[in-house]
Amino acid sequence: MAFFRFDNIKVTGIACAVPSNEVSSDSYKSQFGDEEVEKFKIMTGVCASRRTSEHQTASDLGFRAASELLTHLGVRPEEIGALIFASHSPDYRRPSTAFVLQYRLGIGKEAVCYDISLGCSSLVVGMQTLASIMNTGDIDKALLIVGDTAGKSVCTNDRSSVMLFGEAGGALLLEKQSSHKIESLIRSDGSGYRYMIIPGGGYRNLHADPKPIMCKDGNERSLLNSFIQGTSVFTFTIFDVPRLIKDFFAKTETTSEDYDVFAFHQANLYILKQIAKKTKIPFDKVPISLDRFGNTSGASAIVTLCDRYGNIEKNKTLRVLACGFGIGISLGITTFDIDTENILPIFEDDSFFEEGLITDPNQLYEK
Amino acid sequence: MEELLNLLKDIRPDVDFENETELIDDGILDSMDVVSIISAIDDVFDVQIRITELDPENFNSVENLWALIQSLKK
Repeated sequence: MAFFRFDNIKVTGIACAVPSNEVSSDSYKSQFGDEEVEKFKIMTGVCASRRTSEHQTASDLGFRAASELLTHLGVRPEEIGALIFASHSPDYRRPSTAFVLQYRLGIGKEAVCYDISLGCSSLVVGMQTLASIMNTGDIDKALLIVGDTAGKSVCTNDRSSVMLFGEAGGALLLEKQSSHKIESLIRSDGSGYRYMIIPGGGYRNLHADPKPIMCKDGNERSLLNSFIQGTSVFTFTIFDVPRLIKDFFAKTETTSEDYDVFAFHQANLYILKQIAKKTKIPFDKVPISLDRFGNTSGASAIVTLCDRYGNIEKNKTLRVLACGFGIGISLGITTFDIDTENILPIFEDDSFFEEGLITDPNQLYEK
Repeated sequence: MEELLNLLKDIRPDVDFENETELIDDGILDSMDVVSIISAIDDVFDVQIRITELDPENFNSVENLWALIQSLKK
């Protein structure tokens, strides 16, 4: 069992950023018809989402979130000993985006930085990885940046996915502090590697045909577009995620009453209701952000907490159970305490790292 | 079987599950219904119908679905 317990690490704060461009699900009615869109809204709960411009990336949003978080907490970039960017939306095929963020944030050269290639479970696995690094090394402060721009890889005619995804970046700071407990349980199921996939553009099929074709489910896609095998994903989430949560409760000898809030990955509303029902978690402890921000992949739990607690004036310490699940298949839980005064409100940001946009190889020779 | 019928009627009260034998082939149940049925069967019978058993034939009638549940229980 991949169960982890850390007794000396605290989540000292979280922040997130989204682009200002709001796209409503209703705006697709002219493309897909009223009935199709209404049915989608009822099933998924997604009424609107935020979308980046062409050159804005998840790291741009994560950069804003991290900058705000460090400023709020009074932490200097050079104090950060480890930085992980966990995402399926890197700036480049190589190098790791974590290095770009290290450079932009001014984090020192003594830090360990790398990417983790994960989507919806990136917060949970990223936290576990960073906490493990801190536990075995001499690092006191570590920064996790998560986020995706999943909508960019969806075919615009794919009615199964084009309305679902929102784009966001989140940041979370971990600090070594005694008497703070983080527990994590992580699982993986590689037999589902094809359930959610972009089959082309990787080194298996580097020069895949970018032309969309009509697929068996009636949606157009190319090999460079996101593909989601909906029924398989549904069955995995309604069987395996509740089982993960029940096993976590048993392992930690806790119940839903021991947690103030369940920050679930905002997959879709139907799935969240099913998971809550099967695990007997009161749904009023499961805040929702997907109605206004869509499925924001690995950042969704942070977006949801920032949305729910970012503007609360009276400070309170919350015991949080975060659960991420999706592409891989990867799923996991992590629990932690956080002070609501260190959950920042959602920031809007449309800027991008202009220096990082390389449209001509000769730009790379410029100093 | 009575328990299964009640479960199905809870999800789609408008469907004549006693007599319909082409629930999938005739488009009476859609994919969301199937997912809801799979989830409820897990709750009530503690049986997990996985992707490999998602043959439309298994969902065409209450008899077929009952047979699938029985085979998975073994």
